[in-house]
Amino acid sequence: MRRRFAGILGLGILIASAATLGAAPTLKPFERGTWQGVLKGHAGRPTLVHFWGVTCGPCKVELPLLGQFAKDHPGIDVVTISADLVPNLPAATQSMLDKAGLSSTENFIFNDGFVERLRFEIDPAWQGDIPRTMLISRDGTITTIEGSAEMADLEKWSGQQLATH
Amino acid sequence: MLRMSLLATLVLSLCQDAAHAQMSHHQHASEAACEEPTLRCATKVTPAFGPDGTLWLAWMAGGQVSVASSSDAGRSFSAPTQVTTKRLNLDWGPDARPKIVIDRKGGIALAFSIFRDEAFNGQVLYTRSADGGKSFAELKPITANNESQRFEALALDQDGTVFAAWLDKRNRVPAKEAGRKYEGAGLFFASSRDGGATYAEAKLARDNTCECCRLGLTFAAPGRPAVIFRNIFEGGVRDHAVMTFADVSTPGEIHRVSNDDWQINACPHHGPSLTVAPNGTYHVAWYTSGKARKGLFYAHSRDEGRTFSAPMALGQPGRNPTRPYVLASAVGTVMVWKEFDGEKTSVQMMISRDDGENWSPPKTISSTTDTSDHPLLVSNGQQVYLSWMTKADGYRLTAIEDQP
Repeated sequence: MRRRFAGILGLGILIASAATLGAAPTLKPFERGTWQGVLKGHAGRPTLVHFWGVTCGPCKVELPLLGQFAKDHPGIDVVTISADLVPNLPAATQSMLDKAGLSSTENFIFNDGFVERLRFEIDPAWQGDIPRTMLISRDGTITTIEGSAEMADLEKWSGQQLATH
Repeated sequence: MLRMSLLATLVLSLCQDAAHAQMSHHQHASEAACEEPTLRCATKVTPAFGPDGTLWLAWMAGGQVSVASSSDAGRSFSAPTQVTTKRLNLDWGPDARPKIVIDRKGGIALAFSIFRDEAFNGQVLYTRSADGGKSFAELKPITANNESQRFEALALDQDGTVFAAWLDKRNRVPAKEAGRKYEGAGLFFASSRDGGATYAEAKLARDNTCECCRLGLTFAAPGRPAVIFRNIFEGGVRDHAVMTFADVSTPGEIHRVSNDDWQINACPHHGPSLTVAPNGTYHVAWYTSGKARKGLFYAHSRDEGRTFSAPMALGQPGRNPTRPYVLASAVGTVMVWKEFDGEKTSVQMMISRDDGENWSPPKTISSTTDTSDHPLLVSNGQQVYLSWMTKADGYRLTAIEDQP
C-alpha cells in the first residue's frame, strides 16, 4: 500500500511538473549543439532565423513585422532565438513572441551561461549585436542581415526561394 | 503489487533524474557560478584603487550590489558591505556593471542601473559611503526624470568633483508627441560637488546617440571630462565619437573617431574605451562591424580628441576579439581584450612605451573555460592590473608584467 501510495504521489509530481512546463510550451532551450540541430532540422527548406532579445529596442519594433511575415509566408520556416544574456526571462520572451504573432513558430531561448561559445557555434564573427537575421536557402547558403531587416528584402528573398522550388 | 512497485520506482527515479537535470542545468545555464551576493557568485566586478593604495571592488551578485576592499593586491578581501538592501532587477545587459570611484578623503561614490519595470526601462541609482565603505546612504535616482536611463559612467576630478554620464530616453517623449521619429538616446550628464552625495540637475550633452553600449569616461584635464560613445551619425551610422567638455557643466563639440560606416539599426551591446595620458594623448579602443572595417580597433589623438590616428586592428579575426579596454599609466599604455578559440576565452594584452606609436606583440595573460566578465584594467599609480571576473575560476587581479 505504501508503495502504491508512493507511486501515485510520484505520478502526481510528474503530472504537476508537466503542467508547470506546459506554461511555456513553445520556448526551447538553445544550448551547445542546438545550432547544428536547427540547421539539420531545416535542411533543404528555406529558413529565416531571427536573433533578438527582450531588452533590445529595435527588436521590439521588428518582431511584430516578422510575425506578419511568418503568417504571410507559410512556405518559409521561421525560427526565433532569444539571444540575450542568460539568465534571461522566459515569461517576458514568450509574452513578446505571443504579442508579435510568433507563438507557433519554432522559438528558442539562449540557455547556456557561456554565450560566447553559443555565438561562436553560430558565427565566430558575431559579437552579440541584435537583432540579427540569417536567411538560409534550400542549398544551405546563409545570408546574414545585421540589425533590423527590411521587410522588402525578406519578401525578395522569400520570393526567390519559393520560385526555385 | 510488484507492478505497482516497479511503477513507483520508475516514477520516483524519473522525478529524481528530472530534479537532478534541473539543478545541474540551472548552474550550467546561468552566467553566475552561484546565487548568493558574494564575490564568488558575481557576474560583473568593477575595480578602483583608493588614494591609499587600497583596492576596492563593486560587484553584482544574487540581485545585490556589494563592495569590499583589499590591501594586499587582491589576495584577501574585507568582509563585504551590501550596498542594496533588497534584491533588485539589476541591469544584466552585457555592457552594464556597477561603477565606483574613491575620492581623496576615502569617500566612495557608486552608481548602477536597474530595470525598473516589465518593459525593461532602466533607472540609474547612486549612493555614497562617507565611512570608508562600512555603510552606504539610501539609494537615490540620479535624475528625477522617469524615462529609461542606462549605461551610467562615473569619473573623479582632481578636486573631488564626481562626474556622471549616462544614456537617457527622455527626449523620445516630446518627439513622439510632435509625431517625429526619435532614434537612440540622449547622452546626459550631471556632476556632484559633495563627493557623490547629491548631483546637479541632469543636462543633455548630445541627443540621438546609440542607446545600448557602455560609455568610456575620464578626465582629460582638471575640470574637463572626456567621453567616448557610439554616436548615431547621418544615415543611422553607429560610429564612435569623442566629446571633451569645456567644464563639468558645458559639453563640447563631438569629433568622429573613425569612419567605420557601421549602418545598423541594432543594439551592438559593445561599447568603447577611453583613457587620457598625463601628456594629454587620448587613447581609444572600440568594436565595429562597419563597411570600412570590422573588428576591434585602437587609435590615439594628440590634439585633445579632435583628430585620431588611423585605426589599428586588434586581435586575431578568427578568434572573435571582443571587449577592448585601454589604460594609460606611468609604466606605459596597456590594452587588453578577450579572444575565444571555440573552447576557452583568453585575455590578450599589449603595451606601448611610446604613447601608442608602437605596441608589443599580443600576449595571453589569463584564460578561462567558462563565461567571463569583460577584462578591465586598473592602476594604483605604480602598477597596472588586469581585473577579471570568471565563472569557473572566480575573481582574478593580475599584475601586468613589465614587457621588454
